[in-house]
Amino acid sequence: MGKETKIITKNWGKINSQNIEAYIHAGGYEALKKFLFEMTPVSGVEEIKISRLCGRGGAGFSTGTKMESVQKEKSSEKYFICNLDESEPGTYKDRMIVDNDPHLLLEGIIISSLIVGANKAFICINGNYRKQAHILELAIERAREKGFMGEGILDSQYSLEIEIFSGAGAYICGEETALINSIEGHRGEPKARPPFPTQIGLFGKPTLVNNAETICNIPWIILNGGHEYAKIGSEKSPGTKLFILDGAIKNVSVVELPLGTSIRELIETHGGGMAKGKYFWFAQIGGSSGRLILEKDLDEKLEYDREAKIPVGSGAVLVVDRTVDIHEMLLSWTSFFRRESCGKCVPCREGTFRLWEIAKRAKDGKISERDLETIPDILWVLGNATFCPLGKFAAVAFFDAIDNFRKEILKEKNIN
Amino acid sequence: MKIRIDNNEYEASEKETILDVCRREGIKIPTLCHMKGVHEGVCRICLVENSGKLMTSCNTKACPQMDIVTQSENISRARKINLELLWADHAGKCATCKKNRRCELQNLTMLQKVENFRFVPKKEDLTQEEELDLLKDNRMRVVVDEGNSAISRTTELCVECRRCINICPTKELSFNNRSGDVVVGTPYQKPLDCIFCGQCVKNCPTGGITDKNDLDEILEKLDDPKKMAVALFDPALLESMSLEQPEIESQRKLVGTLKAVGFEAVFDLAFGMEIFIEKTIEKIKGNQSNNLILSHCPSLKLYIEKYFPEFSKNIIDVLTPDELMAIFVKTEYAKKNKINPKDIVVVSISSCVAKKIKKDTSLDYVITMREFGRIIRKKNIKISEVEGEEFSRDISPKNKEVSKMTRCGGAAEMIAREMGIEYIQANGVKDIKNIFISLRKKRIETKIIEAMICPGGCVGGGGQSNNIL
Repeated sequence: MGKETKIITKNWGKINSQNIEAYIHAGGYEALKKFLFEMTPVSGVEEIKISRLCGRGGAGFSTGTKMESVQKEKSSEKYFICNLDESEPGTYKDRMIVDNDPHLLLEGIIISSLIVGANKAFICINGNYRKQAHILELAIERAREKGFMGEGILDSQYSLEIEIFSGAGAYICGEETALINSIEGHRGEPKARPPFPTQIGLFGKPTLVNNAETICNIPWIILNGGHEYAKIGSEKSPGTKLFILDGAIKNVSVVELPLGTSIRELIETHGGGMAKGKYFWFAQIGGSSGRLILEKDLDEKLEYDREAKIPVGSGAVLVVDRTVDIHEMLLSWTSFFRRESCGKCVPCREGTFRLWEIAKRAKDGKISERDLETIPDILWVLGNATFCPLGKFAAVAFFDAIDNFRKEILKEKNIN
Repeated sequence: MKIRIDNNEYEASEKETILDVCRREGIKIPTLCHMKGVHEGVCRICLVENSGKLMTSCNTKACPQMDIVTQSENISRARKINLELLWADHAGKCATCKKNRRCELQNLTMLQKVENFRFVPKKEDLTQEEELDLLKDNRMRVVVDEGNSAISRTTELCVECRRCINICPTKELSFNNRSGDVVVGTPYQKPLDCIFCGQCVKNCPTGGITDKNDLDEILEKLDDPKKMAVALFDPALLESMSLEQPEIESQRKLVGTLKAVGFEAVFDLAFGMEIFIEKTIEKIKGNQSNNLILSHCPSLKLYIEKYFPEFSKNIIDVLTPDELMAIFVKTEYAKKNKINPKDIVVVSISSCVAKKIKKDTSLDYVITMREFGRIIRKKNIKISEVEGEEFSRDISPKNKEVSKMTRCGGAAEMIAREMGIEYIQANGVKDIKNIFISLRKKRIETKIIEAMICPGGCVGGGGQSNNIL
């Protein structure tokens, strides 16, 4: 397996993605057939565990382990949820998947649902993705006509219904418990864990929630085996990942690369280097909630690993050049989290609000001594005492900015 | 299993949370959003440390090999910052707040020794434009609801702990908006139109939801030498009064305090209950149908009208004991003692919030235990120095058993025994709902039904103080 392995993007730009015949012609739904007629749910989970595939939404939890725990639950009803509620700023990989290969996603959803024993799957799609919801609706219709879903899939004993659920585009609804609340018709806010959704999830039943990109890896693993998959990419987290290259680079694009690629390679080889006349300042990895990378850390490898210095997050790489005003960045991050906090717990609700106020003052060059004293306190409480990870993420970029660009943030003050 | 807390081993069961174990063992952990049976974990005050990681004790179940620390630098730092953040969003008008000195936020802030309030910008840091923005923002977010005569709400003092949302038996309240704009309110911010059981008022830690009252008017009348102020009090509820003012531990002390506050006469409400029972028996005798519903719980009447309107006709149409007694005071008592009824002010001190929505005008005011506490504090009465007194003998009940009525089922039991009929009793909305559903499906039938909305009857009423101070 070379570096050129394409799993998710193999059909992109090559076939007419809306056409199910074209997808089948390109080898589509073969994995489903293989699973239906040659494998059992238990052996399916075994393959995925061997592949060491981990969640591509950001947390990087082992997909196989999660699937196994849902599979082991004894319940007559189980649910599978495809998390397409993509709302991280600067991240649009899932949208690209639907645009370019909706049937790959569907095949992954069908196989994953059958593996865990769910006979109902939801695709929870961001409310702003109208066009993508329409594409999926058509794809589901075609797949049903072909007998890939519905009662008795391809005359086997398996059945599956897929429903598209359109959220209202709240960032927090990407968190799995909030997503479940949202589908149930409640306020989109996280629930306390345990119980984990794998035990008590949607409508109180065991539920598996996976990111759309994770799901797209499943057909390949079923078809080629977990051992093959485990050979791709980095030692710690094998497989490929969609990276979204954005900002002051030549080629703004989505690329599929093996995990373990360094940031420098991403920017210089695949992004075509810095755009003309721009000078690298820092890069943000993983959307608004991602860490800031300076020149010296560019050789860090991007992989899912608890000890990794740079978390991959959603895979968005934003390159920022010297012409950008750091105050604008601060304001953009803080106003995003101020708006998207669900308001449930105190540190996140009040802390993100106060950070936004401070960012506004910093922009006006009126940041006071008192503000400088409170910033570490707010960031600390966001990082350590919030209900769900949103609060933790809200502090990351701000923390790195204060850490690295303190002078730039305060400089404005002296000028005014 | 055994868990370690502060280097001591304690026995714990799987069902218990860390907070449960600590409370049982007498280890103090401050809480704000926690209530019995509700483990939201939203206020982040009850934090403890488990192997160096902060977690909320109220919604974390005990696990083997836990090593809990309840006091550390990090814990108190997080608590302080959280409280400071809450204060920054709180109006902080303590001096004029109805909950002053009975406020859990105030108390927590004192306990945690929060001294700095750094998060709100100082006026001198703001431009005129920013100040205007802040005012606009504030105006948008503050929702004041004074649309009924029992409960008043203002989101200005709310700390979004969600206790009211969780306690409300009919789920009237919820969060509106998102993030920093979150306010507790009704759907579409319509004026509150519920059964006014007052459990939300009882459980509100701050002044966000309070009794609607005319305290200034009452105080004026208490001090007016031309007016005769009469207090009605149910001695069975003495215990709930001591929740508000712990020094009031005996009936004599209570009556003495009422007199000290300015009431000329204090009557035992048990007399009103006797009239109530008499009138109810009369009505039952003249009614052949079954499933008659006793009417002394005003919340129940509203509940039936709202959720089971087909049973409205089953309610025995008798005024509440307080109203009946007020009528008696203003007619027979006034006549006997040659007092102009217009000069008598009848105030009932009750554990009921719904009684504030009264029908008869003879009863001038209904105040809750909390409001009585406020009067005592406003008038600066030193209860320890008050001399004990007895209830006025002018109107006193013949039957001592009547006071059982405040406990659930008391009235029905008494009437049933006297008339030799069947009865059903229930308390708490959950049970009551089940009974009415069974009635609707004609699964049960009886002569009279006594149902009380508050859990445990009036003893668990919404008009009491709930503060763990």
